[in-house]
Amino acid sequence: MAPLTTYPVLQVENLTMHYTTRKGAVKAVEDVSFSLDKGEALGLVGESGCGKTSVALTLLRLLPENAQFLGGHVYFFRDGSDEAHARRAVGKPVKILLDGQEHQGRLVEVDRSQLVLDARLNGRTQQIKLGRDDIARLGVDLTALSDEEMRPIRWKGISMIFQAAMNSLNPVYKVGDQIIEAMQTHMPIPIPEARERVAQLFQLVGLDRQLMDRYPHEYSGGMKQRAVIAMALACDPDIIIADEPTTALDVIVQDKILREMRQIQKKLNMSMIYISHDIAVIAEVADKVGVMYAGGLVEFGPSEAIFKSPIHPYTKALMSAFPSIKGEKVKLAALPGEPPDLIKPPSGCRFHPRCPYATEICEREVPKFIEHKPKQYAACWNPLM
Amino acid sequence: MKRIWQTLTSGMSKFIIVRLLQIILVLYLYMTLVFIILEAQPGDITDIYTANPKITPEAKEAIVKQLGLNKPIYERYLNYLRNFVTGHLGCSFKWGNIRDVPDPVCREQRPTWDLIRERLPRTIVLFLTYTIVSFYIGFFLGKLIAWRRGAIIEYFSTVVGVVLFTVFTPWFALLLVWLFAVNLGVVPIGGFINPDSWTNIRQIGSVDCSIGISCSNIVFNHMLLWLGGLTLFWGIVYLWSRRFPYPWQRNTARWGAVALGLVLAGLFFGGGWLGEIDRVVLARDTKFEFFVWHFEFPAGTIPLFPLALDFVQHMVLPILTLTLISFAGTMLLMRNTMLETMREDYVMAAKAKGLPDHVVRDKHAARNALLPVVTSLIFAIAFSVDGGVFTETIFSWPGMGQLLLLSALEQDYPVAIGSLVFTGIFALVAHVIADILYAFLDPRIRYD
Ligand SMILES: Nc1ncnc2c1ncn2[C@@H]1O[C@H](COP(=O)(O)OP(=O)(O)OP(=O)(O)O)[C@@H](O)[C@H]1O
Ligand code: SF4
Ligand SMILES: [Mg+2]
Repeated sequence: MAPLTTYPVLQVENLTMHYTTRKGAVKAVEDVSFSLDKGEALGLVGESGCGKTSVALTLLRLLPENAQFLGGHVYFFRDGSDEAHARRAVGKPVKILLDGQEHQGRLVEVDRSQLVLDARLNGRTQQIKLGRDDIARLGVDLTALSDEEMRPIRWKGISMIFQAAMNSLNPVYKVGDQIIEAMQTHMPIPIPEARERVAQLFQLVGLDRQLMDRYPHEYSGGMKQRAVIAMALACDPDIIIADEPTTALDVIVQDKILREMRQIQKKLNMSMIYISHDIAVIAEVADKVGVMYAGGLVEFGPSEAIFKSPIHPYTKALMSAFPSIKGEKVKLAALPGEPPDLIKPPSGCRFHPRCPYATEICEREVPKFIEHKPKQYAACWNPLM
Repeated sequence: MKRIWQTLTSGMSKFIIVRLLQIILVLYLYMTLVFIILEAQPGDITDIYTANPKITPEAKEAIVKQLGLNKPIYERYLNYLRNFVTGHLGCSFKWGNIRDVPDPVCREQRPTWDLIRERLPRTIVLFLTYTIVSFYIGFFLGKLIAWRRGAIIEYFSTVVGVVLFTVFTPWFALLLVWLFAVNLGVVPIGGFINPDSWTNIRQIGSVDCSIGISCSNIVFNHMLLWLGGLTLFWGIVYLWSRRFPYPWQRNTARWGAVALGLVLAGLFFGGGWLGEIDRVVLARDTKFEFFVWHFEFPAGTIPLFPLALDFVQHMVLPILTLTLISFAGTMLLMRNTMLETMREDYVMAAKAKGLPDHVVRDKHAARNALLPVVTSLIFAIAFSVDGGVFTETIFSWPGMGQLLLLSALEQDYPVAIGSLVFTGIFALVAHVIADILYAFLDPRIRYD
């Protein structure tokens, strides 16, 4: 089997999630699909309130009580010889990459040397026996896991830098202890070693090691941000989701931290999802870009391609504002009108009331999310080619 | 020297020192207030003799002079303060001396300090136990019902709690007495000990109990010392064990200390293992009751525990009553603050870290929700003095609250003043302890 140069770590398919409110369902995530490869940085961009955070929380299964998960799959890939990962997958929908080919099915059995997959191939169900070593990657559908099965995936598999990073440190515990807590949850590491590792992480993110025995209120905003990044790195996760990691900081610190994060990500060959309303931030760090509008993904593809020639009119509009803006709630200069109400979103293409290219069909029918150029997907009836 | 100065002026020590200085000031103000209130009363204490025809105006004059009431007010004020500082609290008008030898100062009367020294520990124990029990139950239930919103336990404990919280307290206390003491007969109706069980006791340790009742304090103070000592020991071991690298080492140290403490206490109260002091000499056969269990002992030496159980049994009903009446306040407050902290980002972050559900709940959400609840506890302490008077009276618990009420009713001024001041000191100290506890729980306060 030829080693793959790139392989996926995450495939999100048709993710849909609504919030129940008194006024009706907030359709915050509608049919979102994307994929993320090993070592790759994906940027999710869109106006404030378009559902970026909601996508992240849905795939980590950290939703608030009023959230309703309505469907979709989140395949999280790990090496198939990872015993714990394979065990977790038994009885669950899985995807397997075998000789560069993707098989979908349900894993029925795992033993020391062999995995058995009930797969649907060419419309027929068949059992495939696979040696451990045959499998480069085994993807488990996270949406099918129980809370307890999900726990080891959190932070060790996918960690997150929260939008309100400043507040994601508990005020009553020392910062170092909070990072050690994350480590000790996932691996049996004695405290002296854990402290040593925290010191290394602090060095990596540019913090003095003495600070690990301080409380969050003794940190400045930038320091907290760095500490939170260190915490996200603590368990060597496969994926880090960084939700507006720098929005609360001033521009100079913002740039510095972004550059450092990018370096760390390259150095450790980690996969990242950057979330920002600021396309300038995304342009700086992302290899791939997903553009969200009103709960849906409207364009997805490699960042050079998208920045060179966007397909979706909304992407184009976003870019016309680039690179001037860094700050909260940006009004798009080129776009008239307000972002839509997610309780009663516009029919058809949700962007049609504001779209300069809208035609009659846009109002009636939802455009399909399809590949318009190689690897460049978009949902638009009148793609800009 | 410089190091010592630095530790004293930084962080926790500084906080504690500042608080202690503050309570000295507050105490001084409080005592002055007590003095002013007494002075503001019409007449003076010798007026109680006026109605007695046998006391001539000359004799009354002599008493006034003897008591120093003819001196100017500032002199009496300074005297009053000086007496407190030097520990002279005067002699009771009503309580007779209970010792074999007359008191050198008070002769046939009982010194106020003697009364307070006997009763303060009883109040402290009752009050402390009830505070901890009711607080913990409120904290625990509040935490649970916030975490599992809409569960049956939420409706149940909210309804029960609110009903108990708003019920007319004396009526409810009497209801419980009627139910548990009169009807079921599992606990005594009131009081502090069961005198029948104590009459045969001749000696405890090396102390001769010619008057049986006075010996109860020896046992009681032993219990108190053990309770305080064990709490301190466990607290120190808990803090010390944090330095261990592995959780299992920490747990071993902590549970080891718990076991060791319990074994030592068991040996002490179980009799005769730690020397002379823990042995009781019985003159005749006697029996003790603890709920439904009966202990029969022949004359000779017996261990301390049946006597200790006698106190415990008498504490059950007052503590149960106070707890039932008051836990709902803590519970509802805890529920609200918990619902608030559950929305905090660090709770979501803790969950995202993959921590088990109960760790997220206890270590992150509840730990922070606790802070406002402790604040409320600090305020509650100030108001608990009147509750003490009422409870001790209903359950005839011979503590400070009862003493305060009795001496006020009987116009036993030295004792009334003494118990008023000491109740105040007690409330203040409890207040400071809660305050320090708060600072211990919240690093943001500590390092201001
Ligand atoms: N718990 C909730 N209940 C109801 N509606 C919610 C809830 N959380 C978010 N929403 C709504 O869902 C929509 C998407 O929110 P989300 O936070 O995902 O947006 P976002 O793209 O991350 O925005 P921002 O850039 O402001 O962070 C918004 O309209 C928001 O008002
Ligand atoms: S589908 Fe129509 S309305 Fe929507 S973006 Fe494309 S052109 Fe504009
Ligand atoms: Mg967001």
